[in-house]
Amino acid sequence: MTIGGSSASHRPVGPNVVRVALALVVAFAALAAGAGYWQVFQAAPLSSAPDNPAVVAAARNVVRGRILDRGGRVLASNVPAAGGGAYRAYADASIAPLIGYASSLYGTAGLERAYNAQLTGLQTGDPVADALRKFQATPDDPADLTLSLSLPLQQKAVALLGADRGSVVMLDPSTGEVLAMASTPTYDASAIADPATARAAWAAVQANAGHPLLDRAIQGLYVPGSVFKIVTSLAALGSGAITPSTTYPQQPGAERSGLVISGYRVVDGHHLFTGNTALDFTQAIEVSCNIYFALTGLAVGGAGLAAEAGRLGFGSPLPFDLPTAASQVTSGGGNFGGGFKDPVELANAAYGQAEVLVTPLQMALVAAAVANDGVVMTPHLVTSLTTRAGVRTVNPSPWRDVATPVVANEVKTAMEQAVESQWGHYFTAGAAVPGIPTAGKTGTAQLGGSGEPNSWFIGFAPVDHPAVAIAVVIEGGGSGLRAAALAGELMTYDLKGLGS
Amino acid sequence: MEASLLALWLVRLAFLGLLYLFLLAVVRVLLRDLRSAAREPGSELGRLVVVASPDGEPPSGSVIPLDAVTTIGRDVNNTVVVEDAFASSQHAVLTFRGRAWYVEDRGSTNGTYVNGSLVDDVEPLGFGDEIQVGRVRLRLERPRA
Amino acid sequence: MSALAGTRPAARRPAIGRLRPRFRRRELGLLALVALALLAGSLSLGWERAGRPELAGGGLLAIYLGTLALVHLGQVLAGRRTDQVLLPVVGLLGGIGLLMMIRLPQDLVQQSFGGASLGLAQAQLIWLVLALVVAGSLAIVVRNDTWLRLYKYTWAAAGIALLLATFVLGRNTNGATLDIRLGPVSGQPSELLKVILVIFLAAYLSENRPLLAERSWLVGPFRLPPLPYLIPMIAMWAIAILIVVVQRDLGAALLFFAVFLLLLYVATGRGLYVVLGLLAFVAGSYVAYRLFGVVRERFDVWLDPWATAQGSGYQVVQALYAFGRGGLLGTGLGAGLPSVGGQIPLPEVHTDMVFAALGEELGLVGILGVLGLYLVILERGLRIAASAADDFRALLATGLTLVVAVQALVIAAGNLKLIPLTGITLPFVSYGGSSLLANALVVGLLLALSDRGVEPPPPPRAPGGRLARLADRGAR
Repeated sequence: MTIGGSSASHRPVGPNVVRVALALVVAFAALAAGAGYWQVFQAAPLSSAPDNPAVVAAARNVVRGRILDRGGRVLASNVPAAGGGAYRAYADASIAPLIGYASSLYGTAGLERAYNAQLTGLQTGDPVADALRKFQATPDDPADLTLSLSLPLQQKAVALLGADRGSVVMLDPSTGEVLAMASTPTYDASAIADPATARAAWAAVQANAGHPLLDRAIQGLYVPGSVFKIVTSLAALGSGAITPSTTYPQQPGAERSGLVISGYRVVDGHHLFTGNTALDFTQAIEVSCNIYFALTGLAVGGAGLAAEAGRLGFGSPLPFDLPTAASQVTSGGGNFGGGFKDPVELANAAYGQAEVLVTPLQMALVAAAVANDGVVMTPHLVTSLTTRAGVRTVNPSPWRDVATPVVANEVKTAMEQAVESQWGHYFTAGAAVPGIPTAGKTGTAQLGGSGEPNSWFIGFAPVDHPAVAIAVVIEGGGSGLRAAALAGELMTYDLKGLGS
Repeated sequence: MEASLLALWLVRLAFLGLLYLFLLAVVRVLLRDLRSAAREPGSELGRLVVVASPDGEPPSGSVIPLDAVTTIGRDVNNTVVVEDAFASSQHAVLTFRGRAWYVEDRGSTNGTYVNGSLVDDVEPLGFGDEIQVGRVRLRLERPRA
Repeated sequence: MSALAGTRPAARRPAIGRLRPRFRRRELGLLALVALALLAGSLSLGWERAGRPELAGGGLLAIYLGTLALVHLGQVLAGRRTDQVLLPVVGLLGGIGLLMMIRLPQDLVQQSFGGASLGLAQAQLIWLVLALVVAGSLAIVVRNDTWLRLYKYTWAAAGIALLLATFVLGRNTNGATLDIRLGPVSGQPSELLKVILVIFLAAYLSENRPLLAERSWLVGPFRLPPLPYLIPMIAMWAIAILIVVVQRDLGAALLFFAVFLLLLYVATGRGLYVVLGLLAFVAGSYVAYRLFGVVRERFDVWLDPWATAQGSGYQVVQALYAFGRGGLLGTGLGAGLPSVGGQIPLPEVHTDMVFAALGEELGLVGILGVLGLYLVILERGLRIAASAADDFRALLATGLTLVVAVQALVIAAGNLKLIPLTGITLPFVSYGGSSLLANALVVGLLLALSDRGVEPPPPPRAPGGRLARLADRGAR
């Protein structure tokens, strides 16, 4: 009411109110964003979580879809229960760690867990179909899963592993389809699924010191030993740190006295038959020369090695139908490049010791990368889902480009020599598929302390048009010879058409 | 898709739709309030520009924002105090009602003029009209936007 | 002019005896939309349940809508120029809550009123009707705020007494002492406390505003706020902490603290207070985290609820599952919340977790709408504050609005795992008498504060004294 100005101490609260209002509006906007995150972006994983009450309720009422192998052989089917409903039955124990179980008492595991939503029909995996589902009268449409797995091949792999603990991963390098994924020891998943025998079977599995529930192919972390040299090779040739003709003059001498790096001595068995010749790249692969790869690792540098390993999938879980453990080249934390602590760790890691830990699936992918001209296809197990609504096919898709065809070919040649050449034969006897050019690399992973080393082999065949890539690890299997022989037998079995 | 399920979904979506229709209606009310806020008492309704003021109070050229009721006169209790020998202590009053300004003479000795003509009781004012109180001339102008 | 003096008070005093109705067209229109929306919701729920078109809880809904209509009629008859948006918005929120209570298992609550045993929806309806009547009556009756602003220390004392009563008469539920029980009536005093605290803060801050805003203590190079004048405020902060310590009621403490800080900022415009308050909050939280298992558990659950999905993280994980199942459009009322073993696997679904239930059955679209309703309350309340005649009213309106808006924020963000989950109700929607009645006080006071006074009379037909009378009033 006055013309004069108002007192300074009585500024109006209006502007402050506006600022508070704006702050709260921002808070409400954050709330809306949060709701959108959970209800749109996370809706699918949340609604298919195995302990989601909707999933649990559906699992009680729905007859799960079947699981079939690549030849249509039934891996998981349903048995009518006495009091109504049904329980699961599985083809045999060889697939148990992979397929897992679906039990009314113990929940789900393995593929049964990962694809619970699809098997119970809560989700089809097709976003459009899922969105329209709620408008349908009977929304549950359990899917039959068809896998790329070959049951005979899988059974053969488990039989060959026998009483040993270990794992075999076989895949088609050109598509990424998993042909076999064995992990021993196995267990009787049917007995866990059958309510009548569930408790006893569960107790037996829990008591087994071999941890049969652990799928070693994707969750087991092993020291790779010499098979890791393929990763070092891809990094070195790809970065130009070496060429196939690179030699190290100090290498022959170091085989006798050891290679001294920062006061630490890298030792290697002396290769009697190579004499005083400095080996080139192919020869170094053939005889699996640790000194050569220690020097190559130092030439590449920690950052370069870690980067190539990262492209191959190290450092994070792999894109796969099942959750995988992350392989590593180093425990990290060092500042020598790529997380390595010092040159000693890098030199040892370059031939697969030190802190390198891998899953068999990861090493199968390394072999597949070489086989497929440097392109890693996304590994997958489920190839199609069949519902009332139709069939949805999972098409092969490239995942990463990790090497040029030239580099891949150089490594491929060396790996072929490692199996087929005279020298290589000393190391990889038995890996060769009769009548078919085969490529591969053995590994003998020292675990530190006493006990037999883990036996490794990775490889592929035929060399020209690879149809199968393989990774084999046998815990305490001794030298790589054991794994190489097993791989050779399995690849032969597959390529002779017995496994399809 | 079953017909009855479709109908049920239509009802469900109608519920959500009505929720938003309600919000829309509320927002329309809020916007209308926002627009009319400028016209409410308390905020500026108009302004007086001092065209001529021989004795300097109020100073010539000064701008006076107006409340709904603005009294003019020599008495200090007036909203606009004019120091002019020819103005009365309670000279005139400007009032804003609904949408228009009105001026009323409060029985002044020398009368109140709008655009040169003497105000007889109450007269409506338009923006741009000139009011004379004593020798002081004031122009009514539109409020600032 | 003295001759007129006798008639003036009569003209000014609102006529209680003499009705002067003012039609509230906007409110009526909005209320009609509310009724329509709630009927659609009831039809959707009934159809889902019965498999054919029918209304669910039609009788309860009719009583609720009837009460809304009566409250509207009361406002019309009272003839005050109060806000016309708040009542329909609150009515819609309450109605959505009522629909949810009709939808949920009725045995979640067994309340006995005079021998009759009532289920969840019936009990909620009684509280809603009471709340609407309280809000409507306050909006008509409160015309003078002196009783609020003069007795601020009485209010503060009442608040503290209420708090003490909780300690003495408190009943322990879920590790938190929240309820007091006097004979058959039990209630959560923290709900009433929040209204009392806002009144006290508004009165105190409006009185001491210039001091708090202008004065500074110079300590070396630092300009500190005048600490002595802050003591009552710091006492408030201490009370909030005390609530955490003794009652384990984290939600209420968080609410009080946030409202207190925001109100202090509105009154003084000094960002420094907010910074100091936040620092104190962080420090207090850290201490609480170290000292109290409850706080630590809530915080750890917030970081990774899946780690304890079958234990302490169960509620949060289940809430997220509910949001996930809802998706964009929701499952539809009554079609979500799958029961396991005959129970809905979402603890406190009718109180703390009702937002998650809404998220599942109404979807993202639905809860964004609900959040929109709270934003409207925020806008209306702060607009009332901004156009208030004086500081006290402005601060009171701000505080009351913030209590509702911040409470909705805290519990919704908790449900969505944006902040640690704290037990507090979603205003107007959650089940609970204390919460509904306290929020009714807020709405009633806001409506009363929004009164824009007597409409200016129309231009006179007969020239004469009326303008002069107005002028006379303006001059004084």
